[in-house]
Amino acid sequence: MPTNMTKETVNRMALLQGTLDMLILRTVLTAPAHGHQIAKHIQRTTEEVLQVEHGSLYPALHRLERKGWVSAKWETPADRNREFKYYRLTAAGRKQLAVEESRWKQLAAAISSVMSPSPES
Amino acid sequence: MNTWRRLFDRMMGRWIEQEEDLERELRTDLELEAEEQQENGVSAEEAQYAARRAFGNTTLVTQDVREAWGWTWLERLIQDTRFGLRQLGNSPGFTAVAILTLALGIGANTAIFTIVHAVMMKSLPVPNPEQLYSLGNTKLCCDTTDIVPLHDNFALYSFPLYQHVRDNTPEFSELAAFQSWLANLSVRRSGVASIAEPYFGEFVSGNYFSLFQIGAFAGRALTVADDQPNAQPVAVVSYRTWSQRLGSDPSVIGASFTINGQSMTVVGVMPPGFFGDTLRSDPADFWIPLAMEPNLDRDDSFLNQSSEFWLYAVGRLQPGNNPEQVQAKVKTEIQQWLSDQKGNSERTRQLIGTLRLSLTPAGSGVTRLRTTYGDGLYMLTVISALVLLIACANIANLLLVRATAGRLQTALRVALGASRGRLIRQTLTEGILLSFLGGVAGIIVSFIGIRAILLLAFRGAKYVPIDATPSLSVLGFAFVLSLITGIIFSVAPAFIASRAHPGETLRGAGRVTGDNSALPQKILVALQATISLVLLVGAALMTQSLRNLQKQQFGFESQSRLIVRLNPALAGYSFERLPGLYRQLQDRFSRMPGVLSASMALHSPMDGWNWGGDVSITGRPPSPNSADDNVQYDFVGPHYFETIGTRLLSGRPIEERDTPSSGHVVVINDAFSRKFFSHADALGKHLGFNGISHAGDYEIVGIVEDTKYIDPKIPAEPMVFLPLLQTVTYEDSTQKAYQVWGNYIDGVQLHVVGRPENFQTQVHNALAEIDPNLTPIKITNLEEQLNSRLNSQRLIAQLTSLYGVLALVLACVGLYGVASYTVARRTSEIGLRMAIGANSKQVLGMVLRSAMAPIILGLGIGIPVVIAAGHAIASQLYGVKSYDPPILVLAITVLAVSAALAAVIPARRAASIDPMRALRTE
Repeated sequence: MPTNMTKETVNRMALLQGTLDMLILRTVLTAPAHGHQIAKHIQRTTEEVLQVEHGSLYPALHRLERKGWVSAKWETPADRNREFKYYRLTAAGRKQLAVEESRWKQLAAAISSVMSPSPES
Repeated sequence: MNTWRRLFDRMMGRWIEQEEDLERELRTDLELEAEEQQENGVSAEEAQYAARRAFGNTTLVTQDVREAWGWTWLERLIQDTRFGLRQLGNSPGFTAVAILTLALGIGANTAIFTIVHAVMMKSLPVPNPEQLYSLGNTKLCCDTTDIVPLHDNFALYSFPLYQHVRDNTPEFSELAAFQSWLANLSVRRSGVASIAEPYFGEFVSGNYFSLFQIGAFAGRALTVADDQPNAQPVAVVSYRTWSQRLGSDPSVIGASFTINGQSMTVVGVMPPGFFGDTLRSDPADFWIPLAMEPNLDRDDSFLNQSSEFWLYAVGRLQPGNNPEQVQAKVKTEIQQWLSDQKGNSERTRQLIGTLRLSLTPAGSGVTRLRTTYGDGLYMLTVISALVLLIACANIANLLLVRATAGRLQTALRVALGASRGRLIRQTLTEGILLSFLGGVAGIIVSFIGIRAILLLAFRGAKYVPIDATPSLSVLGFAFVLSLITGIIFSVAPAFIASRAHPGETLRGAGRVTGDNSALPQKILVALQATISLVLLVGAALMTQSLRNLQKQQFGFESQSRLIVRLNPALAGYSFERLPGLYRQLQDRFSRMPGVLSASMALHSPMDGWNWGGDVSITGRPPSPNSADDNVQYDFVGPHYFETIGTRLLSGRPIEERDTPSSGHVVVINDAFSRKFFSHADALGKHLGFNGISHAGDYEIVGIVEDTKYIDPKIPAEPMVFLPLLQTVTYEDSTQKAYQVWGNYIDGVQLHVVGRPENFQTQVHNALAEIDPNLTPIKITNLEEQLNSRLNSQRLIAQLTSLYGVLALVLACVGLYGVASYTVARRTSEIGLRMAIGANSKQVLGMVLRSAMAPIILGLGIGIPVVIAAGHAIASQLYGVKSYDPPILVLAITVLAVSAALAAVIPARRAASIDPMRALRTE
């Protein structure tokens, strides 16, 4: 029994991970943001449906940085007098976002065609 | 090295930076969270608490992020290393024994390999050494000038013959000739108030240095122009001599030196590292053009004698030539030249026809060192490899014991969730750590070992041109060897560890009866016993052989005999002045306090030289094969036999009354008497040298016991002792020259009271009193002279003994380890046995029996192996058979007793187990 449980957890994490990456990339598309802002932004936009845990967010951010999809820099915003680590989208990240977005759309379309089949088929 | 260091630093720097960066990032987030909570109206303290709660486990987040960086392998490596070091530190005894074992194994091999490399494989330090060929196999031939050209191994050249070959063989870009031995020189810097000092010199042809493509370090090298009959007398000096004996004085170049009474200008210092054509202890200090030889050797000059074969010839083959064709061509040239000589006998013509010459690669020099030490060094290589094998078996054993002993811990770790891969990696890391430390220690051992071996091997040498530092490749080899050892021998324990079934082990730990699980260890112990036995027997055979060599009847006394080696020719004495000098020497030394008897001779026993010639005896036809008439001879003065301690068997010795004008007499040795006179009385018979017409030259007046002069291993040869200065008139110029040369003594012998070393100053003073130019080449004693003849035997015997003892100690350590481990594992079983009535004697017996079983098995296997190994080293032995039952029994006893002692300690521990406490363990 315990073994099965572990496997399930891993699967859910993997699914979440791919989605989280896309969400982060999408969040920093318009403007650079630091970790806290990214988490808050996702929560607020989804009206608290998606809770981004720090334990997932920061590993994801560092992984994206290592892959070269985002770049990070310590900067002081105009309205504050302290530094935050800002992440911004790179050119490679922009491409990756496009790839993931189209893959997501395909997936969503596929799922919805199963869930609410159109009359013709 | 530096690059690695920098890379490592940079990696570490980046890692630390990244860690700090992450920590700061997470902190700012936490603070922001707290601020937001506060804005929502929560108290500061509460807000922080809430933020922390919202954030989750910071450590876990940090770890997950690190995973994303890809740094984990480094972190794990550091963790494993730290854990490994801690584990090793927890059992200092095991660690010390393991590192020491590896260090000795690796160190012994590195040391031997370095020396084998230097002596057997290394090329001369000159450009393109592979193009160098020696005309004749100099490695098998001829330390002495006193041979007619050997038809089956032609290697020595007279100067005219060398010129002939040089001018007719354009296949060699350079063909140089040089003296086949080193000459003693007496050298004094002109104009400086100093005394003459002994040096070694070598006569070389003018193209010697261009053959080796060696330029001068300072000044210039010798050239062909220096090697002309009327050239300015010049010489060059070796870098080592210049820096160590002439004080690196730049004014040496261009300075005038008196060498053997002849004034010469030193024109250059040769580069460091160049030791000449041959790797030998005490190489040449000065190189002198061949053309100078008549000026230095005067009466007994060789240079223009066609039939004096005293030079080696080495050439640089032009690329593209086939050595075999050149060999055939040179052989024809030599045969042609020899046939053109006047007065060849029928026999000589025959020999010329069957002459054999082999063109031998000389890139590693014309060294004879390898012939002297070759067999011994190969044997040592095998022995040290065996020691390494034992060391490896020991390490394997210790690691196995540890892995099994640590099963409980391993099981616990598996139960707590450690992955198998991680466990294997952990054990491997430990093994590699051990071998790394062992390798480093081994390299230290090898540095000491090389120095010790050189010291042993070249006893009495002032300088050996062998670099005592292992080369980088040898060091690398040793290091890789130790790492491989570590990896291989930790793999097995690693798998044992990883197979550990936590449940079973934890439940049943310690409850073991019998000790079948220790089978691999027992096999290893048996193997060690076998190898140890082989090494011990080998050591005993070699030691016994050396003892036989040393304790044999030499026919002279080695105690309290001082040998002063000097040559009147070096001090510029002409033949006519010799009688006066000899009278003075005899007088002065006989009167010296503490001297019982003094004498002079051309050669004393074991000084490395002897002369030979064909003897003719009145009334006896010459043997069909002239080699059968070849005997050794020596020129000696009065009191010679009593001074060196040779007993007179009959007749009288050579005395003061045997002057140049009195009747010519000789003394022969027992071997001579046996060979040529069998049962007849030799006294009163006549003999002579150089042809039947001289058979009546000398009357035999005495017979002395057999004395070994050259090789302590072979029986004494027939020998004749001629009185100094009793000369015969020969027609042949070569024979004349030889006779003159032979009458120049090589040394004075003194039988003294007490230790010969105490007479050094007295001897120097006495010589200075007679003539300040008389410099002793060397003051030594007969014992030392004898010992230096036994160098290679002693080296082998001592090193085999050392390794034999090492093997024994290692085997005992291995056995002790296995036995104590078994006792530890069987503690509760033993407790149970004692609780139901076994007494401590029975327990002692039981443990001893099980510990000694593999030893007895190993010894059983060892006996046939020892007999086989004995046959392999039979040629190295003297006076011992390769299969010697007493030695075998002794070695087995030593091994068995040592093993029993090693097993008794754990056995007694077992016997003193308190049953109550033993049963309560676990």
